[in-house]
Formats: sequence, C-alpha cells, structure tokens
Amino acid sequence: MVAPLPNVRGDFAACSGCSLCLLVCPVWRRTRDLRYTPHGRAKALQNGVPVGELKDSIDSCTLCGACEPVCPENIDLVDMTLNLRAQLPPSIPLQQKAAPAINTTPDYHGKRVLLVGRALREHDVALQKTIKVLGCVIADDDGFDIALNIEAGATLTEARRAAFLDPLRHAKQIIVADGLLCRTLQRWQPRANIISLGIALSRHASVRQHLKHGDLYVIEARAYHANVEGLVRYYDDLRFDTGCAMNLDLQRIAIPATARNLRQRLGIDTPDDDAQTRWLLQGRKVTRIVVEDAGDMAAFKAVGDLPVVHLAELAHD
Amino acid sequence: MDTSSSSHTGYCPVGPDSLTQIKRQQTNPARWNGTHWPDFAAALRAAGVELLETLAACGAFATDAGGTAYGMPHGVVIARDAQQIAALLKTAQQFGVPVTVRGGGLTTEGESVAFGGVLLDMTGMSHVVKVDAKTLTVRTQTGIFWHSLAEELRRDGLDYLSAPLNLTSTVGGSLNVGGIDVNSPRLGCSADQAVALQVVTPTGEIIECSETENAAQFQRAILGYGQFCVITEVTLKIRRYTPVRMQYFYYASLRTAVEDLQMLDHDDASDYSGILTMMDTAVNLLVAFDSDEREAAFNSRWKSRLRGHGELGFALRALPYFLVRPWKWAEAVYLLRRKNLLFPEFRRPEYVRNGLMQDRTVVFSRAVWKYWGSRQMVIPDLATSTEKFIAAVERGNAVCRKYFPYYTLYCVGIKLRDDHKPHYELSCIPPDASGWAYGCEFEPMMDRVYSRDHLQSFKNEIYDIGVDLGASYYRFGGMMKGYIRRALGDEVVDRHLAMKRKADPAMILNRNVVF
Repeated sequence: MVAPLPNVRGDFAACSGCSLCLLVCPVWRRTRDLRYTPHGRAKALQNGVPVGELKDSIDSCTLCGACEPVCPENIDLVDMTLNLRAQLPPSIPLQQKAAPAINTTPDYHGKRVLLVGRALREHDVALQKTIKVLGCVIADDDGFDIALNIEAGATLTEARRAAFLDPLRHAKQIIVADGLLCRTLQRWQPRANIISLGIALSRHASVRQHLKHGDLYVIEARAYHANVEGLVRYYDDLRFDTGCAMNLDLQRIAIPATARNLRQRLGIDTPDDDAQTRWLLQGRKVTRIVVEDAGDMAAFKAVGDLPVVHLAELAHD
Repeated sequence: MDTSSSSHTGYCPVGPDSLTQIKRQQTNPARWNGTHWPDFAAALRAAGVELLETLAACGAFATDAGGTAYGMPHGVVIARDAQQIAALLKTAQQFGVPVTVRGGGLTTEGESVAFGGVLLDMTGMSHVVKVDAKTLTVRTQTGIFWHSLAEELRRDGLDYLSAPLNLTSTVGGSLNVGGIDVNSPRLGCSADQAVALQVVTPTGEIIECSETENAAQFQRAILGYGQFCVITEVTLKIRRYTPVRMQYFYYASLRTAVEDLQMLDHDDASDYSGILTMMDTAVNLLVAFDSDEREAAFNSRWKSRLRGHGELGFALRALPYFLVRPWKWAEAVYLLRRKNLLFPEFRRPEYVRNGLMQDRTVVFSRAVWKYWGSRQMVIPDLATSTEKFIAAVERGNAVCRKYFPYYTLYCVGIKLRDDHKPHYELSCIPPDASGWAYGCEFEPMMDRVYSRDHLQSFKNEIYDIGVDLGASYYRFGGMMKGYIRRALGDEVVDRHLAMKRKADPAMILNRNVVF
C-alpha cells in the first residue's frame, strides 16, 4: 500500500499563527471563520483537539494550495490536510481501478501524453483543440480515480500506482490537466518531464499570440501553487508580454475561480462559488475570460455574460 | 508566578537586574472562574447570538502571536454585525462575563488572549462597505486585514495611507493601538487616518462617532486599547496607489543612523523612513519615495548629508573592522548569512519591477514572518520623545547584547497631530512627545530555545528603561500592564480607570489588558 504523500514537510506543530493562509484561502473568503482554515486547524490541533472534531473543517478544504507558498514556516499544508483526511472516514465513496493486464499496456515511447481529467473530457471542443495544438495523445488511463483517492486522503495500492505509472515511464512529456495529480506526479517522478496543461498551452505561440489586453487569464491554482517559485516569473512575463490580467493577488498567489470542496466538485453537494467568482471579477475591466481549467468555465458563466473560453480555444484553425 | 512579595523586598528573581519596587504582573492573569456561564450562554443564544463552545473553536484562539500567553475562552463568538456584538455585550454586562476582543491576534503580551469568558473574533466582520474614490475615503468593517483592504482598494487604483508592515494586522486592531508604517513619520499612525467610527459600547449601545459627532466617544475609541468600545466600522482616509522607490544606507553606529533618521523626518526629506538592523553592527536606514520628484529632491538636497554608505561601501569599511577582531568572526559570518537570506527577499522580481517596489507590505511582511517569526516571539519596545530616543535605543541595544547573540532593532518615527492629543493620552504616544514620537522594537532571534525566565528578564529590562526615561510602550498592556501606571503616573491611569468604570460597569471588556 502506498500513502499518497509520505514525506510531509513540517506539520501543524510548526504553525506560528501568523494568519497569512487566511488571506488567500477561498474557504475563509466564504465563511470568514478561522476554524475552516489551515491556521484554525493547526491551532486547534496544537491545543489538543481530536482530529475527529475537525472533520467539517478538513473536508471543507478545496486543496487549491494557495496557503502553502505563503506559509512562512514552509509547512506542506496540502499534505497536512490530506494526512488529516486519511485519519477520517472518506467524505465520498471511493474506488480504485483494477490494474490492467500487461498485454494491454499502451506504448507512449517518445510521445507527448495528455492526462485529460474529468473537466476537460466534458468539454470536447477544448479537448480536440488541445490535442491538435499540443500534438499529444490522450492517455488511456488518466488517473482520475487516483486523483480522487489522493484528494480524499485514501491510500493507494501499489499495483494501481504501478499500473498507472508504468506506461508513462517512456513518454517524452506528460501533460496533466488535473492540478493535484500534476503535483503528485511531479513528486512521484521528479526526473520525468511533467507539466500542467496551462503551461503547455500558454507556451504555444498559436495560443499565446491571441492573449490580449482585456483578457482575464485564470491560472489553474493547484498546479501553480505546487511550484510558485518556479512559475511566478513565467506568469509575470506572460502577463506583461500579452497585456492580459491574471487571477493573481498582490502576493502573486492565484485566486481560485471556485471554492469547491471534493463533494461539491463531484456534484454530490451544491457548489457555493458566487462569492469567490465575483471577488475574482470585482473591479476588473475585463472583456473575456480565458481559463486553464475547463472546470472553471461554468462558474464564470454563472455570474456574468462575459465570453469564457478555454485556453486551447484561442488557437485558430 | 506571584512576584509581588519579592518586589517588596527589592529583589526580583525573574529579573534580578531590573528596577526594584515595581509590582510584577507579567504573568498570565487568573482564569475567570465561569460564574453564571450556563445562564449567560442560554441568554446569549436566546438573543440569537451563535456561541461556539467546542474545543475546536476555543482551541484555535488559545494564544496570540507572542506564543507566551495561553488561555482558553469558555466560548467563541465570531463577529458578524454591530447588532450581534451589542447583544453580546449587553448580555455579558448582565452576567458579568468577560469579553476579550481579537483582531489578527498579533499581540505578543497576551492582550488578545481570553483567560476565560468570551473570545470575540472580529475577523468575521471583514467586508469593505464602500469605497469612495471622489472623497478618497473607504468605509470598512474593522475585522478586515489591512492586506485584504489593500487587495480591494488596488482594484480601483487606490491604497490605504498608513498601515503596519504586517499583512495580517487588522484595521480594528490598529485603530486601538496605533499602527506604525514606514510612512508614519510623515502621515502619523494608522489610527490617525480614521475619520469616523461605528462603535458598540460595553453596555451595548451602537454609536456613530467622529471629531464632530460624539467626540468624547471618538477620543476614547481611537488608541483606546479596546477599553471603551468595540469598533465595528470605520471610515478611513485613502489615497491613489503609487509604487515605491527604495534606497538603503548602511551604518555601523546606531546613534549616527538615528540622528540621520530624525534629520530626514524633521526636514520632510522622504516619504518613508525607518531603521532595521542586524544587531548594532549593520544598521540599515531605509528611505523611500512615492514619486520621481520627491526622490530627485532627496538626492540633490539630503543624500550627501547622510553618513551611511551603500552596500559595497559599508562592506569595505566593515572588513578591516572584523579582520582585527577574531572574536567577532562568528558575528561576521552570521551577518553574511543573514544578508544572503534577506536581501534577495527584499528584491524579489515579482514584487520589485523596474526598480519600483509594488507592495511594500507584501515584501516586508513576508520577510518578517519568514525570517523573524516563530511560534514564540518576544518583542518588547520603547516609545519616546525625539530627544530621548537615542538613549532608549542605545540602552535597549545593550540589554539585547546582554541576553542574545543575535537580534534586530526596528525604529520608526510617528508624526503627531496636535488635534489628536486627546487620543494620545494613556497610549503608546509618550506624554512629553511633540512633533514626533519614536518607537524602537527589540527583537531577539530565537536561534535556540530560551527559558521563559530568560525571556521575561529580557523584557523586564527593556521595559524598565521606559520607566527610567519616562517613556511609553507600543505593546501597551497584557502581561506588561504593571508598567503602565509606573511609567505614565497614577493621575492619568486613575482618571482613565474612572472613565472605564463608568462606561463598563461590570468591567467586562478586555479586562486584562490595561487596568
């Protein structure tokens, strides 16, 4: 059995209570309640509160990861939350795919492989454009169940992980649409060429040249926050080169478009995105919204009549 | 620890070098005993106020940023609106239940820790009510973090005037204690930017107040340390946003740097100024400007008068000093390591573009939390008149040297307003200050685990300097409140205590902070 994230850097005991995580937390923005923040969880745990009493708070976390790069104690806050989830009954019913038979293993040798994820799979136009622009193949196994298990804090079987990773081992590049899966893969295979879908597309000239002043470019928060140090200058340059606005706050943290926990993202519970999405748009002079994550499109369409497009759709035929 | 008996004998086992005859009260106050709590809780809920009594809620507020004071409230109320707070205070007054108000929780002497009773978390009231770009004012709930306010204002090309260099200070907290920015030498403290307030009195009245409306209430609310009301909304002056041009000058002498700082402040030579040190060996005077014109005027008229040096010039001068002092090489290595950590942080390209610092608070606060913060922070301070400041800094520095191998001093001036004198009484502004007050924070680096007694002795020695000099303190209460009466005198304390008793008959509101 494989704990999804075995090496947590720091833990709740290191929290100094600075509250910097509140400033960027979408759940805080919605609730204005310290209990539903990394700070609140850490301080409660430091003072002897059993994990079971924090279940609502732990489940409410969207795992956007915005808190992690601002934490001065360098606590792996996403991992801290996942480890806490692992100590609780899962908030959703979980399954792991059975390992496929060896003779069905696809050959990705030298290819660019796209792990699509659920949201992009549901937007066929964006998906087809992505494939065309990037010249990639879609992985038969996109690890959707693995992403769900990771997010729920569940333990993966070694067989399932191996079945997922083995075909990818010889890929030239792995492009990952799901930010949490991207983060996890980068840890599992640190020497592999793994990038987020947003980076892959925005690097492409046919996409980049159509970004313009008046666009609000919405970075997928999870992959970005997993590597802010490495990406902040890239996005800063993209912003200045193209003139578009971005969902970055004054600390250069990506403001997530939604504030959905796992159950809300799966449609089990009703999402409550309004405050977050409206805050993102507040006071901005925007004529078009460009998203990296297809899953953000519906939230923007729900709060206004601005055109919302996926980044891949910027590439002209 | 009860040290009152030892103070009568003139010997203090906690701070043996400290002034004698001061009644020590720098320990956690006794926990409130919970009398009538169940009746209070029932009455509060009947009034429609949500009261959280779970361990998860109370445990989250058990300490403050200082991490030396610990206390558990009986229950937590998350502030939502003035009516809810009025109901809370009325009920608390009726049952004699203490209410401790918390903003960002950035106190270091336990001022925002509830030793029983109710903890009122103001961050629940953190919405901007209205931005008025024409009058350059903003109306906001006071539980908002200054940084969150900046995020909102910047969408309209606006900015706050003056706020602590800490992203998670709240507006309400700063209104109560002052709030010092590196532009305070020009603009005064954050609290001076308030135009009007909505407050809830300890007996539950909701009042609008300003210099012209309910002026007495306004005077007591600003810099009132939460004794006379809960401030729920404020109208603040704001301004157009400008990025900042920074310049740094390095000194080997605290005295020289402070003299130059005061010269710049007196001459209005820069828009921002302050001193940040690595011990007393590398003293950094920072100056900054909102415009090219101001910087050009500084460069032509004042820059050559400063006795500090640029980074290279300072390094060249420091080299021979350390070469002939081998016993100081460890310190030199520390300085180099510290410089290599800090300087890139202050120049991160995403925050500094084309030589302009986009958000000073982001840059400084991130560095402060990263390189100074820890689960335990001890930051005693002294606030003095211009004339006494060099003595305070030098004496405090000697205390730091005595107790810690590595430390930082942070010095900044506060422009005083004659018309705000009533606000300043019994506050961090020393009574003998005119024109400017100056504050210095003494912050040891927690490079190892120090005993509580060691830290307490250090604080006592710093605070004793304040008594000796006739100064005041920025950290004005909590576990150091025993110093207030001694430093500022019985007459003013008793007068304010009488006002407090009148406004708050059951003495429920922030009862352990000042009196």
